[in-house]
Amino acid sequence: MTQLRYLLLISRQGKVRLMKWYTPLSSKEKTKITNELTQTVLARKPKMCNIINYSDHKVVYRRYASLYFIAGITPDIGNELLTLELIHRYVETMDAYFGNVCELDIIFNFTKAYDILNEMIMCDGSLAESSKRNILQTMTAMDSMDNHDKLDRVLS
Amino acid sequence: MGSSLKSFIKDVRNAKTFSDERTIITKQSAKIRTKLRDDHLSSSKKRENIQKLLYLYILGEPTHFAQVECINLIASDQFVDKRLGYLSTSLLLDESQDLLTLLTNLLNNDLNHPNNKYIVSLALSTLGSLSSYDLAKDLYPDVLHLIETSNDPFILSKSLQCLSKLISKDFELTILSILPIDIFVKKFFSNNKNDLLLTNNVWLGICKFLQSIVILLLSSFSSSSNSDLLSDQFLTDLNHCFSSIIPKLFYQLSSLNIKNYESSYDVQGVRDPFLQCEIILTLKYLFKLSKLSTNHFISLINDHYNKFMDLLTQLINNSSLNLNKNPNNAILYEITMTIFELEMDQSLRLLGVNILANFLKPYNNNNNNNNSTVMQGKRSKNNHINNSNSNNIKYVALNTLIKVIKYEPCAIAKHRKFISQCLYDTDISIKFKALELTFTILNKDNLVELTEELIKFLKDIFSNNNGTHDYVYFDIDESNDLINYTVDNFLKKCDLFDSNQDAIKLRSLFEILKIVGNMISIDQLNEFLIIINNIENWQVKINSLIENISNNMINNRIVTNNISWNLIMVWSIGEYGDSIITKANGNITSNHLINYLNQLNILYSQNFKNPLISNLSINKHSYSDYITMIQYILTSALKLSSKINQSDAHNIESLRQIILSHQKDSNLMLQIKSNQYESIFNQGINIKRIILDSMPKFIKQADNNNNTSDHNKIQPNQNRNNNQNELLLDLLSDINDNLNQEKSTSSGPITVSNNNHNSKPISKTTTLTLPKDNIDLIFKTDLLEVYSHIIDVQPGNAHLELFFKPIKTFVKSMHSLCAVSKQQKLTLGHLYPHNTDIEMNQIVKQSLKIVGSGKLKLRVKLTLVTVSSNSISDKTQEIQFDYKFNETI
Repeated sequence: MTQLRYLLLISRQGKVRLMKWYTPLSSKEKTKITNELTQTVLARKPKMCNIINYSDHKVVYRRYASLYFIAGITPDIGNELLTLELIHRYVETMDAYFGNVCELDIIFNFTKAYDILNEMIMCDGSLAESSKRNILQTMTAMDSMDNHDKLDRVLS
Repeated sequence: MGSSLKSFIKDVRNAKTFSDERTIITKQSAKIRTKLRDDHLSSSKKRENIQKLLYLYILGEPTHFAQVECINLIASDQFVDKRLGYLSTSLLLDESQDLLTLLTNLLNNDLNHPNNKYIVSLALSTLGSLSSYDLAKDLYPDVLHLIETSNDPFILSKSLQCLSKLISKDFELTILSILPIDIFVKKFFSNNKNDLLLTNNVWLGICKFLQSIVILLLSSFSSSSNSDLLSDQFLTDLNHCFSSIIPKLFYQLSSLNIKNYESSYDVQGVRDPFLQCEIILTLKYLFKLSKLSTNHFISLINDHYNKFMDLLTQLINNSSLNLNKNPNNAILYEITMTIFELEMDQSLRLLGVNILANFLKPYNNNNNNNNSTVMQGKRSKNNHINNSNSNNIKYVALNTLIKVIKYEPCAIAKHRKFISQCLYDTDISIKFKALELTFTILNKDNLVELTEELIKFLKDIFSNNNGTHDYVYFDIDESNDLINYTVDNFLKKCDLFDSNQDAIKLRSLFEILKIVGNMISIDQLNEFLIIINNIENWQVKINSLIENISNNMINNRIVTNNISWNLIMVWSIGEYGDSIITKANGNITSNHLINYLNQLNILYSQNFKNPLISNLSINKHSYSDYITMIQYILTSALKLSSKINQSDAHNIESLRQIILSHQKDSNLMLQIKSNQYESIFNQGINIKRIILDSMPKFIKQADNNNNTSDHNKIQPNQNRNNNQNELLLDLLSDINDNLNQEKSTSSGPITVSNNNHNSKPISKTTTLTLPKDNIDLIFKTDLLEVYSHIIDVQPGNAHLELFFKPIKTFVKSMHSLCAVSKQQKLTLGHLYPHNTDIEMNQIVKQSLKIVGSGKLKLRVKLTLVTVSSNSISDKTQEIQFDYKFNETI
């Protein structure tokens, strides 16, 4: 099972590009986790495995170009290997949506990146939709409604 | 500064310095605050501000001031506003806030939105991530209604996810959930028409829902308070439902595993591994419930368990063909966890072990390349993901094997070849896990083989340390950790050697000393001494010593960079000098031995007096270690004087000179010792022989036995020779007092441990005591005491140690995290001994290295589980405290 506690997107320079928390934490705790994980993950060497034991849980991360995708998962029941696939599925979906996604796409369109994530993962971090196509369809439909509203506003 | 979101982001990115960036952010933040108060702002401007606010959120800035604005945005009838409103609300708020009540009406309206399913879905998502107790209670019926009436898989899937979250918020809702589970069965499983509804995302929702119910039931069974709420009727109905759903889950799982390719759900040719794992997990939960709970659910096991095991076997067979596909491995891994958690039949457990062992085998990853075609153009950088893929499965396999070794120790030990291979992996975390597992599988049968393997491993690390490898793949601290871990655990396992394996045992110990002698601590060295001392086979012991000594001594070559090795040699000479000389048939004479002691005495005396011009490689060893070393040399010289031919005046005098050489030492300890030893030296030979006899067998006390080795040497003699020692009591009074106290307080445990020693190797744990000086009690609760010990403080850096000592109960899984002030950087060592479970009054230490400047301040956070003797339940506790040192770096 993949039950995420949080998902962080952090750049090679240690900047946060996206963060989503699936368990309620104080902002202090959030900062602590973000800082510590940024340090740990950036220091890892390329050939090391993508799983880290961190405080009371496990962290799975994966690097795409200049961006690290870091996911905290529930210990004991969390499936680390599947979490790697989950991250990959998210990246694939963004890739299809943006067309060859790069870090800049995510920086400037972070709301879309969040929307895609929210279609995939719900509630306390469990996967709700595994089909890339379904997510893209939903995104397209919602985007066109957005545009429709904006257009209406201009015309009126 | 531009006004659009885009230009704001650009400005922040282009800021040249940190303070520039701060200025831009603070300005923008203030601007947003003012703008948000403006009611006449157009909705597109409002959205823009909220978007900027979200960007601030990502940057980690405070955003609480705009929470109400976000909620207001949801109230708009424009979809574009709602969408952003829901997004920002779910990000900026969390479940603990009172503001959530504002959402009740808005969510209620949107959940019942007549013609826009996307609005419904946004509301469901937000409710799912922000379900406070009140929201759960109020909106539960609306979600249920959606499940009942909707025929759109999109909505059904989200409603199910949301519902699972809501019922976990409130137990009463679970009682009511007899309703949904009824609806649920009717809706999804009553006839074949429903197949249209059962898309993969709905299945995910169904799984989640079932899991939630089972988790709630399990927790309510374990805490008696709630279980009376569960009526028999309810449980029987529930059982009935489960029973009808399980075959459907079976069917869905096996068809996912067999059926043809469907691109949308495909992951590297594996069909929806996410759903497959989810179904396996759901079934695991259902059978776990059936195993653990009262007899209500027993029929699940009776009716379906065999089928489940067959199905898993079948899945294993299907998936094992493609081991180089990560999704396949994810499924296999999920199955293995299921097998061991449900403690299935041995045949399946063996399959599980085999899967994990297969994970450890090196194989060709090249087929994996289709994995990462995303973010092309930078694909070369992605390659490491493929490389680390095999590392990931190794890591999970080792981790799981360590967990499940209690079920199948023999089967796992059979795969030791692959486990040993992982010792040479380039990834330090895999090395550690492999090492841990190696020690877990170590038993009498594979002892010799694995010892060789471990020695080989130590050699490998050592050569890494000294740069003789072509590449250095991890730093010295890490490899020191590995070495210490290996040595510690190996010493603990030395009890496993049979008495007829003494020769092998000694050879291995000496081998280890030769390799890593300058990297191990004096504490560990004491263990070595004890093991050598306790070897009963005299012949073997002396031969082995001769073999090792002759090389050094006869050729007049002393090892300069291995203090541990020298210390053991010196000690052996003192203890067994006479036997060595007799046995060596003239190859080793008393001259050789004395000469050797003399050389070492000169070497180490120079060294600790002039550390700067030291020609020894100061690796781990410090000033105090050199002093210890000289003390050993003195003791050895004294002991040897009673063992060699008394008529050889020249030799006797040489030994006396060694002892006298420290009579005016600047170090008080050495000076005292030198003087004391001299007066023993001048006693008659008969008295000397009795006092300076070889040590008897050392018997370990269960705990707390961490006397310095000098004490060890004298204590047993005292036991036997009290009368003769009386005349020494004045001289050695400080030590004797100490000893007598210890003796009287510990006389009980000695006899107890006598039995323990043979039957329980556990008693051989490395124990620590607090250092005597520079030690401060920095924190104390009724649960534990924390001491700090400052080793070294210099401008720019400090080195200290923390000692943790539970004083009330046994403490499990202790983790400690420390933080220092912003101007400083902290490197936190592992807990030592490598053990997160600590007995009462036992001590673990952790080393901290701090670089930077400013006052030394420390914040320590401990998480631990306490085990109290009178209750079964373990309690997790968190302790946090701050401490200010007087020192400044």
